[in-house]
Amino acid sequence: SIDMLMSSEKEEDPDVIPEDSSLLTLRIRKKDLERREETIIVDRACRQETLTYEMESHATGKRPDNPTDLIEEGELLLTLNIFYPVIFQKHKDHKPYQTVLVLGSQKLTELRDSISCVSDLQIGGEFSSQPDQAPEHISKDLYKSAFFYFEGIFYNDKRYPECRDLSRTIIEWSESHDRGYENLQSVKMEDYVFNDLSLKIGFPYLYCHQGNCEHIIIITDIRLIHHDDCLDRNLYPLLIKKHWLCTRKCFVCKMYTARWVTNRDSLAPQDPCFFCDVCFRMLHYDAEGNKLGEFLAYPYVDPGIFN
Amino acid sequence: MSAVPGLKEDCEELLGAFQQADTVRFERFAELWRERRFYTVFHGRMRALERNKLTKKTLELAQQYFLPPYSFQIRVGALYLLYGLYNAQLCQPKQKIRIALKDWPEIQKFQQDLLDSQHYDAAYIFRRLRLARAFHFTAMPKLLTYRTKKKIEENYFKEEFKDPSNRVNSLITNDVLEELMNIHDHYQKMKCVISADKSQPDKALSLIKDDFVVNLKDITLEHQEWQQNRMKLFRNAKVTDGTENKKKEETLLESEGSERANALARIKYRSYSAVVEVSKSRRHRQVQLESSESGSSCGKSPSRSKKTSRRPQPAWRRGEMQVAEEAVTRHIGMPIITEENSDEEEVSLSKRRRRR
Repeated sequence: SIDMLMSSEKEEDPDVIPEDSSLLTLRIRKKDLERREETIIVDRACRQETLTYEMESHATGKRPDNPTDLIEEGELLLTLNIFYPVIFQKHKDHKPYQTVLVLGSQKLTELRDSISCVSDLQIGGEFSSQPDQAPEHISKDLYKSAFFYFEGIFYNDKRYPECRDLSRTIIEWSESHDRGYENLQSVKMEDYVFNDLSLKIGFPYLYCHQGNCEHIIIITDIRLIHHDDCLDRNLYPLLIKKHWLCTRKCFVCKMYTARWVTNRDSLAPQDPCFFCDVCFRMLHYDAEGNKLGEFLAYPYVDPGIFN
Repeated sequence: MSAVPGLKEDCEELLGAFQQADTVRFERFAELWRERRFYTVFHGRMRALERNKLTKKTLELAQQYFLPPYSFQIRVGALYLLYGLYNAQLCQPKQKIRIALKDWPEIQKFQQDLLDSQHYDAAYIFRRLRLARAFHFTAMPKLLTYRTKKKIEENYFKEEFKDPSNRVNSLITNDVLEELMNIHDHYQKMKCVISADKSQPDKALSLIKDDFVVNLKDITLEHQEWQQNRMKLFRNAKVTDGTENKKKEETLLESEGSERANALARIKYRSYSAVVEVSKSRRHRQVQLESSESGSSCGKSPSRSKKTSRRPQPAWRRGEMQVAEEAVTRHIGMPIITEENSDEEEVSLSKRRRRR
């Protein structure tokens, strides 16, 4: 009966703002809406908005098929903003970031695996002479080391034998002279879960991989898990917000995403020049596969590849 | 997050009306709510993403009124408001109310208060919210967002909603009084023990007033009553427009608060009117009377006077205290105005002003 006092007595369309509203909020909003109606021809959700909304809400309320994967009450949920390393000049002021939800009982390695960075997919080497052999080893497989830095402790990924302690350089540097940093420690990433860490909200931390690709991590929120959240453990770390990066298209067909970049190319109009796979082969190689002209070609992975 | 335009005013207006009604009954609040048709605050054509954001901001704004230092009535009003907004929202699944961990004990205390004072309707509303899982238990009250703000918005508390800052009461609490009483009794007993006559302390040992604890309690009670009366007068003075009553009450308030202020202002004026004429050689640097009131600024140093004029509108009590301070310091340190020292005097004057 108390609920009836609140809700509307008659059927009202929530899209329509009543004419004689006494609320200032509604009067302002009405003016805004009228202005929008005058200026926007087609008022529809654009791709970006649909994507944002979908990502935010696609996992709410999900339950796992396997009951052992159900998240229990009292589990902590952290919201992390992981910033991309700045690649473009236009991002200097507002750095793009992705937002990830992580459970308190998850290991740091799980977060590490879920971070998708374009530098992981880079392929080193010049392949103008043997274009077919290009995608052999991506950097993710070659350079497996990574570390997190939280509150003075470096958490290094030591799961594979190739992993090196990247933080050793920093620790040696800070110990060589009295630089004012208290003792920095180095531990293994796979031994720790998020519940073990002591963290500050809003304070920038670091994730470094590939030796020099650095991402800033900021924790924006910690809260208890809620009935309406996604309770399937397998879906975490869950990506809920991602920055949309425009992909570079092939210079020739302007349709496909660029897969090759050439330098010092006598056949190309600009340096560097981007090509999709088909256009690249058609332009630079004849029917037998011989190289035409002088150029250096590198496989290119566009940052927008994760869209 | 940037604020929803107009929402703060609407909420404050509703809570103000609730405070005026001087009750904590939910029926009264529901009437006020229905009068304004507050549930329409979420109406207006918008897509799901925007609606989510809007609802989040609305709940966040309403939640602020639920916590101290707001007065008890406002907090109950905020509880009802949260209940109404939570149920009236159009998002599916519903947006939740964020409560920080540090605020949770206070809210539990608040709930206990409600139960003790038998405001069962408010307690029931709170329980309904809990059962509906309307709360997110978070570490920090505000969700962090990274937008460069053009100017930092000062979150000011509406004066009337706050409980009058009861410093005296928070110092002399019941516990403190009880303990004082105990210590006093103990002291008296000790005195009896060591004096010749076992039933009474020696005359020579009576160094304190015997009933000072009772006096202290009376004084604090008086102070509290006086404060409440003033708040009531102040509130009434604000509400009633252009009536005889208002004038009378205002003058009453004024006479109370600024009697002292006027007296001090008079003293100040008298002491400063005595500005010595500087000698002819220094004609271009006449010493000018700088008034200490905000707004008017004359004299050689515009920057210095700007500092005084920037003083904000003082609340009644603050105003008179500040004026008192001013007068006192100036009175004490009033230098002799001579020709040679005319510059010095101004410099030291402005320094004193700056120090405040």
